Amino acid sequence: MNLFTMFISAMLINNIILTKFLGLCPFMGVSTKVGPALGMGAAVLFVITGASIFSWLLYTYVLVPMGLEYMELICFILLIAAFVQFTEMFIKKKSPKLYQQLGIYLPLITTNCAVLYVAQDNITQGYNLIETIVNSIGVSAGFMLMLFIFSTIRERLRGNDVPKAFQGNPIAFIIAAIMAVAFSSLAGLV
Amino acid sequence: MQIVVSAVVLMLVLGGVIGLLLGIAGDKLYVKQDTRVEDVLAMLPGYNCGGCGNPGCVGMAEKLVHNEIGIDACRPCKADMKEAIQKYLDEHAD
Repeated sequence: MNLFTMFISAMLINNIILTKFLGLCPFMGVSTKVGPALGMGAAVLFVITGASIFSWLLYTYVLVPMGLEYMELICFILLIAAFVQFTEMFIKKKSPKLYQQLGIYLPLITTNCAVLYVAQDNITQGYNLIETIVNSIGVSAGFMLMLFIFSTIRERLRGNDVPKAFQGNPIAFIIAAIMAVAFSSLAGLV
Repeated sequence: MQIVVSAVVLMLVLGGVIGLLLGIAGDKLYVKQDTRVEDVLAMLPGYNCGGCGNPGCVGMAEKLVHNEIGIDACRPCKADMKEAIQKYLDEHAD
């Protein structure tokens, strides 16, 4: 598989939200406005890419030579937590407004299952470093794209007359389901 | 036995290195904050329930300090906690 195919596949065809249903917490939580949604997408892109590269390096050059492959889960979680902590400090310093908008969802990137999934998937698929980077950026770009599309739909929805029983999160889940069906038609692309 | 020792050493080294790096980063990226926000945050229940409409208790604490929201918006807050926070806010008004 060449790298471009890999990128498109990770971003659109095997989209992490719509086909694997991972990372739904920020997908539902910070998608009410376009601005914070893009900020969240960028933060997740940084964390996934960084954490994946460091996890890959740690696994290949430390865990395998030491024969400690079974420690991958706990080591990856440690790396991800540290990365999110760093991202939080960075955003707090550089963009207090975004920090305020993301609120509790920023430290919660630690528990975003998408991050751990990508880090472990790179290992189980046997990717090399370049493939790891391409795959991580592809997955997180897919995450960001879906978050953006979803937030624009939700912004548009705000002025509409939604039946009372469906207001808020219920209608959001229905939209997410319809989006998943729509994007499943891309399955034959590669 | 050896594998247990190496696992423990690995975690110690990894934790130490990450802790050191985060410590340096925390020092470099330190942001001076309104101390009142931290004080109010400590007095709030800290469930991050979102019942007040803010993204987490930090957002609520900041709005409280700037008088943008009333303490009654916090639902899990007990009456005596609300009183204590209101008293603090009155004493430390802008």
